[in-house]
Amino acid sequence: MANISLQHLDKIYDNNVQAVYDFNLEVKDGEFIVLVGPSGCGKSTTLRMIAGLEDISGGKLLLDGQDITTAPAKDRDMAMVFQNYALYAHMTVYENMAFSLTLRKEDPNVIHKKVLAAAEILGLTDQLNKKPKQLSGGQRQRVAMGRAIVRSPKVFLFDEPLSNLDAKLRGATRREILLLHKRMNATMLYVTHDQTEALTLADRIVCMSMGHVQQIGTPLELYDTPANLFVASFIGLPPMNFFDVEVQGDKLVSPYFTVTATAEEQQLLAGYQGKTIVLGVRPENIEVGNDVAVKVFSNENLGMNTLVHGYLGGDAQTITCKLRGWCDYKRGDEVNVSFVKRHFFDKETTNAIR
Amino acid sequence: MSTLMSPAEQKQIQLDRMRYTKNTLSSRLTLLAIVFDVLYFVSIYSTDVGSWYYSILIGASIVYNLVFMLMAFLSSEGVKSYHIGYAWLLLVLGVGQIVRIFILPMQAFKATVTISKVTYPVMQMPQFTYVVVMLILSAICCLIAGLAGIKRSRTLEAYKASLSEKAA
Repeated sequence: MANISLQHLDKIYDNNVQAVYDFNLEVKDGEFIVLVGPSGCGKSTTLRMIAGLEDISGGKLLLDGQDITTAPAKDRDMAMVFQNYALYAHMTVYENMAFSLTLRKEDPNVIHKKVLAAAEILGLTDQLNKKPKQLSGGQRQRVAMGRAIVRSPKVFLFDEPLSNLDAKLRGATRREILLLHKRMNATMLYVTHDQTEALTLADRIVCMSMGHVQQIGTPLELYDTPANLFVASFIGLPPMNFFDVEVQGDKLVSPYFTVTATAEEQQLLAGYQGKTIVLGVRPENIEVGNDVAVKVFSNENLGMNTLVHGYLGGDAQTITCKLRGWCDYKRGDEVNVSFVKRHFFDKETTNAIR
Repeated sequence: MSTLMSPAEQKQIQLDRMRYTKNTLSSRLTLLAIVFDVLYFVSIYSTDVGSWYYSILIGASIVYNLVFMLMAFLSSEGVKSYHIGYAWLLLVLGVGQIVRIFILPMQAFKATVTISKVTYPVMQMPQFTYVVVMLILSAICCLIAGLAGIKRSRTLEAYKASLSEKAA
């Protein structure tokens, strides 16, 4: 069992810079939580507070109901995997993986069994006698994971473990982490700035910005019902298009287009009559239609889809559309599109209108 | 993971561990042998060896010390990786350390120097005992390291052969 409870966690550095504000999260046993956000949003700091590598300035941290807010890192029974692997260059893979258990003075035979079992899981059996410099980046990261696995910790913490890998290796290692989680059913907290990693790995995502939690939810919740403009713009690739529109009866009027709100949308926007709100449309929710005229300035074929970048009106408002199939629009062509699914945000609070 | 293992299982795991762990016993004993050798020659070259000091024997002794330290260091690395050749070399070096007792230290102990018509021994009994003990300790370290190296290398070789047979 490894339930983690983060209650009103704050982190204030000695120079009075506050990195994390009032962080609250309940992590269930076996859950895979991904902390996502841009650089400097406080996600790594939060993870390091959980690991015990940073002091907690305020709030409480509970592991299985036990207060570990001030407990030293070595007593927390958590294993952390770092972005830079943190392997000992002079030790073999076997020695690296066995190191933490050797320090604990465990029986060498038990250590051996644990190391071989972890190597088997990670496909490192043939690499055990090699030094880290003889391994690829992906293999080194697997060694770092193996070192965490042999400890059989209650919680695994990953701090951007795939950032040093190339795109292909990142995809493969990501799948390995997912398999590892399924196999071990351990509680895992994973920090990344890569939304693809977040969406593919997480049971739940914590989206952060400027030290504040913006939204906590399943990947689908964050994608489908973003809580605010930040989450809407951060989750999804290419990012969501945003337009200022004025609610006029059943019409949504922008300087570049006018679209009709559905009955459901009218009900939702009843309180915003005459006001300007932000309309958000994901590129994949745009299809060829007859509502909005887009002047194409670039056309990127991705195989199954085509990314069309264009302007609305003059060149003040840009739009990105992800159209189905292979399109061959030229610069200057005009394409008429429709918005299939729309999101609405309060312009002042930036919160989603629901 | 259960820590309860039968003796047979423990023995099997100990064998298997050798595939991934170094022979640190032999390696460390060899390094210790070098330390004892250093203590030996620091002591013997500080002796006022008088007329025989500049003989070819001293030169050969100095060269042998350098060769011994180099060979022993290489062997410490070799036996660490279960190379049986280095283990045999350690046995030779160990025997060499014993043989050395009967050359330079013994001669220095028997030698005398005459100053102002008074004859003095070059090496007193306490120093002679000290250098002999250092050489014996160095020899013991080399011999144990060599024997352990041979035994472990053969055990590992046999184990690997049995694994290959099973795989085939």
